[in-house]
Amino acid sequence: MSSSTLSEGRKQFIVDGVTQDCRADGRRCIDFRRFQIETGIVSNTNGSARLRQYGTDVLVGIKAEIGQPKQERSNTGHLEFYVDCSSYNTTEIDGHIGDFTTQLTKSLERIYDSENVLDLKSLTIIAGEQVWVLYIDAVVLECCGNLLDCISIAVKAALYNTRIPGVSVNDEEGVLELEISDDPNDEKKLSIDKVPVIVSCNKIGHRYVVDATQEEECCSSGRLLIAVNDRNNICSLQKSGTGSLDPSTIFEMIETARQAAVPLNQELLQTLKREERSNNDKCGFFAN
Amino acid sequence: MTIFHSCRGHGTYLQDNKLKASVAGFVEKVGKLICVKPVKSRYNGEVGDVVVGIITEVGQRRWKVDTYSRLDSLLMLSAVNLPGGELRRRSEKDELMMRQHLTEGDLISAEVQSVHGDGSLALHTRSLKYGKLIQGTLVTVAPALIKRCKTHFHNLECGASIILGNNGYIWISPLLKEDAENQTTKSDTSTLEREIVARLRNCIMALAERQMLLYDTSITYTYEASLNYQVSQHKK
Amino acid sequence: MRKDYQLPKFYDRLVCRTGAVSQAVGSAYIELRNTKIICAVYGPREVAKKQEFNIQATVACELKFATFSCRRRRRHIQDSQEKEYSQIIVQALQPVVRLDKYPKSQIDIFITVLQNDGSVLGGAITAASVALADSGIEIFDVAIGCCLRQIGDLSLIDPTYLEEEGRLNNEEEDEIVTNANVTIALLPSLNQVSALIMNGELDVDSTQRIIKDCLEGCIRIYPVVRECLTKSLEEKMSRN
Repeated sequence: MSSSTLSEGRKQFIVDGVTQDCRADGRRCIDFRRFQIETGIVSNTNGSARLRQYGTDVLVGIKAEIGQPKQERSNTGHLEFYVDCSSYNTTEIDGHIGDFTTQLTKSLERIYDSENVLDLKSLTIIAGEQVWVLYIDAVVLECCGNLLDCISIAVKAALYNTRIPGVSVNDEEGVLELEISDDPNDEKKLSIDKVPVIVSCNKIGHRYVVDATQEEECCSSGRLLIAVNDRNNICSLQKSGTGSLDPSTIFEMIETARQAAVPLNQELLQTLKREERSNNDKCGFFAN
Repeated sequence: MTIFHSCRGHGTYLQDNKLKASVAGFVEKVGKLICVKPVKSRYNGEVGDVVVGIITEVGQRRWKVDTYSRLDSLLMLSAVNLPGGELRRRSEKDELMMRQHLTEGDLISAEVQSVHGDGSLALHTRSLKYGKLIQGTLVTVAPALIKRCKTHFHNLECGASIILGNNGYIWISPLLKEDAENQTTKSDTSTLEREIVARLRNCIMALAERQMLLYDTSITYTYEASLNYQVSQHKK
Repeated sequence: MRKDYQLPKFYDRLVCRTGAVSQAVGSAYIELRNTKIICAVYGPREVAKKQEFNIQATVACELKFATFSCRRRRRHIQDSQEKEYSQIIVQALQPVVRLDKYPKSQIDIFITVLQNDGSVLGGAITAASVALADSGIEIFDVAIGCCLRQIGDLSLIDPTYLEEEGRLNNEEEDEIVTNANVTIALLPSLNQVSALIMNGELDVDSTQRIIKDCLEGCIRIYPVVRECLTKSLEEKMSRN
């Protein structure tokens, strides 16, 4: 409904609000919006998660398939990402939608497809020939700002939920045969100790806000994407947006994002553990 | 539903001599006129409605305004007040100055002057209470939730003023000072006023989600109930 | 894979020339050790597609690895890595150009990597800035790009391809080895960062340290670029 261009007056109002630490919806600069996360909702996947927030709905599904390893990393499995924004209102996106989804996909790949994040070596079946490839697909049903952060939280939850079936290798007359077991007890869980969550820090005026809405994103002069994991280490940084940043600003943003990410990571882990324990019946997609 | 000798209104059609509804909604009978009003639809403008719109395009002697209707509404150059309050024919110089007055993305409050044949609206701001909106927040809700009242401009007691556009666009701003014409983009809203605006915004969004009618009293009651909680702790 | 560890290197092999593409408004050729990058700038010209009225210029960039430039032959269609690099370069150069001076126009930057031996993104950003300076388009500053690779305790500035892709193999598996790489684009006169990409896992202090080291690298490259631009300007003026 609202266009991506805001009038000067509205922009000024938002900028002044941020300066006074009172944003349009009353949040402080480092407050995240409340969100709901559910896992295990799509039965055909090895792991799935859905993140819902007012105005944002992201669904992530992970499928594990056996495939060839990448050329440069023949001993490890890898991740392949795809972000599907087609249901999302395309007039809201500046520029071509293909570029937008490519940017998101590449950022996620860069951050998550690395030994620093997941134990990719454990996804090897036959070194150099057959590995598990995790296809992580995110479908954006609707979005109200801060899309990459939401996708990253959903991806982390989906990885927690992922179960990879056990594989046994049979050597018959020189031909290696793979047998995937159907036993649910033979499934492997992935360790998400080092999986980060992305916190995007937007520079609005002279201050930084976390979890920006769409209007706030229009007013931001520079954005720094910071991936923070459970150990409070920085996994990735990426500056985006049309403005430039002072080096000191960058250091301050890193610190702000890290502070905001600590409670986020903790709460997310608690929610995921609680969900796993309660094991309630999923009552359908739109049940509240 | 089989009705004979009645007039067809919006949302109905005739098939085999039977009157059928073409949308899911409420039936309204005014004498012999039968209309079906859908719960969710784009804004269907009527003459005299107050709307809040966003300028989408600056064109030849007119602006195109987004009012959440099927087609963009038109605001003709001849339908705005010239700065300075002059009364004269619009010249070429005025056409070139159009962008200075209103540009893409600006918010205005206006009144529906007439409805064209294709359903698009013609707006006008020929009154001091209409014009560009500068300091404040916009909230969008479904047009059906806005109750039709005598006036849509309210100065609430809590310390903010709101404009309930019939098209579902609601503008919340801090209380306008006396010399509202001199409002520039410079800010002078205090944190307290901002908190009031943020609180009102959250209240309106909560009411909208529960599909409740929006008018000044309902918003005021919700505001008072919300005073028990901190603004930053609101769910949205 | 054992490698010979090299001491923290400061660029010393940056060669920079302007006027590589005669048909373009501005162009540059950069050699960063074995990495060779050529860049051409066209514009400002009318926006190609019928887009909305834009009060500012748009910067568009297309980066392409020549199919023979890498160890494995690349496809001739732009793949997702090249698209990502292109977008990063656009974001790095948008604060540099005086966009409000060219409303409704488009500035096109075409970058071809002729030989890839590491530090491509940093080199491409520098090449594009030199080409912009050569083209006479109004700019606030020159953006200098620099890459840094951290392996364990070593910081390698402007790493080669092997250094970028390689990982430290340690005998004891429990040893935690930090692996990180960072690319920064700096505007030296304004001391502003216009692009920053970092990957790896580091604590906050190490992150700050490698960013500072990379900024140092950018500052050391700046005199070379400035000299190249002044020389080319002198040549042009002496011809007139």
